[in-house]
Amino acid sequence: MSKAATLAAWVVISLCLVTLITLPVNMQTQLVASVLVVTFMALIKLLDAGGKWRLVALAFGSAMVLRYVYWRTTSTLPPVNQPENFIPGILLYLAEMYSVMMLGLSLFVVAMPLPPRPSRSATPGKYPKVDIFVPSYNEDTDLLANTLAAAKGMDYPAEKLTVWLLDDGGTLQKRNSTNLVDAQRAAARHRELQKLCEDLGVRYLTRDRNEHAKAGNLNNGMLHSNGELIAVFDADHAPARDFLLETVGYFEDDPRLFLVQTPHFFLNPDPLERNLRTFEKMPSENEMFYGIIQRGLDKWNAAFFCGSAAVLRRKALEDTSGFSGLSITEDCETALALHGRGWNSVYVDRPLIAGLQPATFASFIGQRSRWAQGMMQILMFRFPLLKGGLSIPQRLCYMSSTLFWLFPFSRTIFLFAPLFYLFFDLQIFTASGGEFLAYTLVYMLVNLTMQNYLYGSFRWPWISELYEYAQTVHLLPAVVSVLLNPRKPTFKVTAKDESVLESRLSEISRPFFVIFAVLLIATALAIYRVYTEPYKADITLVVGGWNLLNLIMAGCALGVVSERGEKAASRRVKVSRRCEFSFGEQTYPATIENVSAHGARVQVYGLPTDGLLIDTKGHIRFEPYSGNGSFETLPVSIRNIETDGDLTIVGCRYLPEIARHHSLVADLIFANSQQWSEFQRMRRGNPGLVRGTFWFLWLALYQMNRGLIYFFRSVKTEAGASK
Amino acid sequence: MNRVLALLMVLLAGSPAAAQPSPFDMSGERPAEERAAPPVEQAPQGRNAEPRPGKNPEVSAPRPPAEPFLRFILPSPTVSLAGEADERAWSIYLTPAQAQAGRELSFAYQNAIVVAPEASVLSVLVNGKLVGEGAVQAADEPHERSYDIPPGLLRTGENEIRFRARHRHRTDCTIQSTYELWTEIASESAFITFEGEEPRALSAIEDIQAVGTNEAGRTQFNIVAPALEQPSRVPVLMRLAQGVALLGRMRSQSVVFSRVMPELDKPGELTILAGTATELQPLLPSLPAEAATGPIAAFAETEPAHAPVLVLSGPDWTAVSVAIETITAATERPTNIPRDIIKTERWRLPQTPLVFSGKRLRFSELGVATTEFSGRRFRTPLQVAIPSDFYADAYGEATILLDAAYTEAVRPGSRIDVYVNGNIATTVALEASAGGILRHLPINVTLRHFRPGANLIELEAVLLTEADKICAPGSAASTEPRFALFDTSEFAMPDFARIARRPDLAATSGSAYPYRGSADPVALFIDRTDADTLSAAGTFIAKLAVAGGRPMQIESIADPLVADGRQALFIGAMPQLPTMVLTQAGIDTVSQASWGSAKDVAQGRNTQTALDEWQTRLKGGGWRSAIIDFESWLKENFDISLNSLRLIPEAEAPFVPPEAATLLVAQSANPAENATWTVVAAPSPALLREGVAAIADTSRWSEVSGHIAVYNPVDDKVSATPARRFSLVETQPPSFWNYRLIAANWLSTNILFYAVLLVSLAVVLGLATAVLLGKLGRRT
Repeated sequence: MSKAATLAAWVVISLCLVTLITLPVNMQTQLVASVLVVTFMALIKLLDAGGKWRLVALAFGSAMVLRYVYWRTTSTLPPVNQPENFIPGILLYLAEMYSVMMLGLSLFVVAMPLPPRPSRSATPGKYPKVDIFVPSYNEDTDLLANTLAAAKGMDYPAEKLTVWLLDDGGTLQKRNSTNLVDAQRAAARHRELQKLCEDLGVRYLTRDRNEHAKAGNLNNGMLHSNGELIAVFDADHAPARDFLLETVGYFEDDPRLFLVQTPHFFLNPDPLERNLRTFEKMPSENEMFYGIIQRGLDKWNAAFFCGSAAVLRRKALEDTSGFSGLSITEDCETALALHGRGWNSVYVDRPLIAGLQPATFASFIGQRSRWAQGMMQILMFRFPLLKGGLSIPQRLCYMSSTLFWLFPFSRTIFLFAPLFYLFFDLQIFTASGGEFLAYTLVYMLVNLTMQNYLYGSFRWPWISELYEYAQTVHLLPAVVSVLLNPRKPTFKVTAKDESVLESRLSEISRPFFVIFAVLLIATALAIYRVYTEPYKADITLVVGGWNLLNLIMAGCALGVVSERGEKAASRRVKVSRRCEFSFGEQTYPATIENVSAHGARVQVYGLPTDGLLIDTKGHIRFEPYSGNGSFETLPVSIRNIETDGDLTIVGCRYLPEIARHHSLVADLIFANSQQWSEFQRMRRGNPGLVRGTFWFLWLALYQMNRGLIYFFRSVKTEAGASK
Repeated sequence: MNRVLALLMVLLAGSPAAAQPSPFDMSGERPAEERAAPPVEQAPQGRNAEPRPGKNPEVSAPRPPAEPFLRFILPSPTVSLAGEADERAWSIYLTPAQAQAGRELSFAYQNAIVVAPEASVLSVLVNGKLVGEGAVQAADEPHERSYDIPPGLLRTGENEIRFRARHRHRTDCTIQSTYELWTEIASESAFITFEGEEPRALSAIEDIQAVGTNEAGRTQFNIVAPALEQPSRVPVLMRLAQGVALLGRMRSQSVVFSRVMPELDKPGELTILAGTATELQPLLPSLPAEAATGPIAAFAETEPAHAPVLVLSGPDWTAVSVAIETITAATERPTNIPRDIIKTERWRLPQTPLVFSGKRLRFSELGVATTEFSGRRFRTPLQVAIPSDFYADAYGEATILLDAAYTEAVRPGSRIDVYVNGNIATTVALEASAGGILRHLPINVTLRHFRPGANLIELEAVLLTEADKICAPGSAASTEPRFALFDTSEFAMPDFARIARRPDLAATSGSAYPYRGSADPVALFIDRTDADTLSAAGTFIAKLAVAGGRPMQIESIADPLVADGRQALFIGAMPQLPTMVLTQAGIDTVSQASWGSAKDVAQGRNTQTALDEWQTRLKGGGWRSAIIDFESWLKENFDISLNSLRLIPEAEAPFVPPEAATLLVAQSANPAENATWTVVAAPSPALLREGVAAIADTSRWSEVSGHIAVYNPVDDKVSATPARRFSLVETQPPSFWNYRLIAANWLSTNILFYAVLLVSLAVVLGLATAVLLGKLGRRT
């Protein structure tokens, strides 16, 4: 059958189903149908049937969701002549319809994600010339040294590889700043980085004025370079050795290819993961995006540029006069422009860089605000649905990516909707208890099952809701402001080098406690009303249950904003690498157990512990992957010592003295991308809806408790301080 | 006036001394047994059981001509006004002479013992004008009331009679107590007295409408046809029965055929002579001479009694037929134009509007006035009629857009209930604690209890207040309004599925479907042309004509095979009806001979009884009982029966009429499944006549529904067997939207089909999506 005939048949079948779904059948019929459908979905899930059956299960789910939409639209809206009910009622309705629309768009995007591509290594001898851009604004030298060293150490012919540090922190404008301190600092940075680059064999480039932020900086880099391909790494994203070999080959296959994007893999947890202690066992938040959504987008040739860890074609960028800088998310905007001009993109689902993400909740929110605002700007300036040159799937994909960031509105409405009833007795959703059971509950169940189906091992149940809620509180004002004033937001660099050394409440945690208190009062009121107004107990129970769900979410978020203190400044990566540890004049056989950006943990055999002192100097000798097969030496200082029989475990801190030392550190941490994949695979387990829900309940309870303890401790401290 | 006084003297003399209005007496106020009984049931039972010392048999006896002429006015044996506020209105037809001479309206009423006389009022209105009112104080025995009718108030034609009661309880303020309040007026006691002899006479054909009711609220047309045994005359006589019935339009009409002159001048009866001049001459010496020369349709007077009789005669039967047509043709109306109202005014005003899809009616159009109410339980009725091809009982919902207000005295927990044909359809809580004004508040009313023809919808507001909780003495009688209903409220009927079912006795009883619109004459099979069977056929067909609002063409058939392809009626005693017809109608043919005669025939039924008993016995354990428990749980909580979860309908066993029943109405498709056959049968012709006359009363007629309905004279009830298997007959031009709604209703009754369809389509869609996605976008 031809494509068109298949499509026509599909449309006819869909129309039949929609006709059946929009029949105004009675509640009993709905109830029996939903029981049957949910049973089938559960069966398919239990049998773990994939492929076609996955799509059948999604069709089941979509049918029930559409039943809900039909019922919700035709039977539950409050009458227009009761504005006090109608206005909040219609807002809630719109919020729900937005969620359904987003579900529909994501169904489209991830209906059949492309399976991970088999490795496409670059053809030896046909290596194109590549410029590596590392744009920087205010990152410190150590961080940049690691990244640049890792970039320089990539497995690629040296004559075809130029690494550029694009420094926007040492521009002429900054160095001539009227603020004397700033100007001095910029000049110092300029000098220091120039020296570093010289040592590492990297080109240093800065410009006169900080125009168009990151996009302008990259465009300036383009002006001074001439490689066929351009790879972009954020200052904190260090590539693995095989990055280029795994990516440049695709450009050979498709002359219209403009982008090969790879996932962002983070060595450290985001604040939620750190505060909830889920980093080691639960897939990271961004894995849903890089593990499923980008693969789904890739199916529709709509994988987009994420600002870093990607290779682009110069010719394509020249087609659109470089990187676009109208919005503050120049990456997605650039990809949209190039897709619109008929260029293609490819996504390689294998972590080839490792980076850092913001450590504090406040900077996490700052980063998300930038994404949300930037995506809103794209939505407003470039409205993807009507943008010429895009295929229809691409339009839908970009709409899905941009509209996603409207979630603060719907979250806010879901949060406050039950309060209308509980506090003000408004009926913004007219339905009986039985109808709630037959429609709303089934909808929620089916929705959760579908989410689990789509993202099961990448996103555990209720975690999306938690992330959205945690962001909503501060993202809502950001999104509102960009909607009111689309040109106002400016590019702000997210701070990623902070660390939380002491347990404390986040500086932006107050609203979470206020919301929690309000929801707690509402819950108490709901219980009270069930007893005092038995004639409408069914509705009160339903609304109270909804409010309870919000309360659980808000309780869990209290843990999110209670920042846990951590001793280690950065996350350790497990490696297992033979080395030699030398202390004084002696050399001992040893194994490197794990490494971080700042230090390593080494098991040493037969090391006498008597002379060992903290802060004394030692050396690690090992064979770098990037070297010529000889051992090289990295100076360290000893931070702590543990003894275990013949083994002594030594914690040490790098003391890089020359540029080569940075390369050695990079070699230790970043050389082997295989271990990152391993780590990700380890976390990817689907606990299932039921177990996941119970786990989440437990988590919420525990975190609420922790949040409240932090809160009372901080109140005490403040009280003590004011005395 | 003297006459009335004399009558009153007679009434009083006939009653025992205890009939004097007794002083307020707490001890006798509420007997213990009245308390124990449930309030709704208790009122009528208590009343019927009470002796009626005030009843004077002479009132209902035929009056010697010297007595003043009077007409009974009630449309039913009794009119009962219940609750705290109630009223009933209907209309009676008066001839010009009657309109001129009406002098006095009399009635006797009795009320519940708990009604507080000082706070309760019974009013009578004629043509909207109050003719009299008084306290409700006849707790012990019926009290007579007579009110003069102001001259000029009555008019020729329709006159509205309205009884209105306001009741308050003596001691109680609970909602329950309002069910104990009632006033009842018996038909035999309620009449209008006329002056002079002229009102007695009927002169024009229109005066047939003034036939009125007898002391039991019933109407009877006596058709005297000396040659009624001739089968060829049956169709024309049936036309006559329909014509007079359509003119009379009374609540409970029957037709009695006879060869001889019945007793004349009885109230609520009209005697019609239908025959050639030669045939009628012996019966009526004063037969107008014109009858010998041409068709004549006129009133004549019998010689000794001066009673009016309607004469339809002519020199030969053709001329008689012409005379009959002059009456029936007046009631003719086209079949293709739907009626906009169903004429129910003789027993309930206003006329009942017929609602089709998307119709909105204001309460003011439905006879509901803006009302302020100070009691606890406010109830107001409204009637709407729906067409016979209504097919939305399983899924549909109508909406009442309520305009109402309530004060802050009304506590949360108060509610508004809506009843449809006596079944609760919805409940809406009144929640605002500070009172509120409801502006077009939508109240969804399930269409489940709607049936073709007129439907009674009752809106009830149950109002709880602090004052009622305390119930201080006298507070029950407070007139401070706490609830108001505005006549701007609306009843909105959505688009509903329209397709006829076969069989569907409700459509037949509700609007004579499919006989009303039949293009060919309706085939009528009568086993024997005797007076009883003819009377039954006449009554049944006349009732059909009234339900359908137009007379039908009838054709007699002698062989059921002739009826094939035609809408047909089979009326007769069970033993005489063709077996083939009974089989087709799903009636057990074994019972054909035995019904009503033998005692030990119930072999077949015993099997069922025994099976049921065994099932109950086995209920003790095992998976069987689990299924039964599950079924009852489903039924209780979600109103789903396992029967509705079948994919193939249960086979229907042949119907065995219960022994106690005396009449059976069954409907089915004909063997070719292109027409409807209705069987009306009884064990004997006499029982057939009585049974049909009994179900011709509107209250029982409206119970005739489903596949088979039987009438049981012992408890005076019609019980219906629903049609499990039926076919759908298209009545509307094909349209997608109608089909969609039909599918919605069908799938709402065949629940599992919907679920299976949904699942299969979803599976197909899932697979199609897989194929499509394999072709679209990137693949590897």
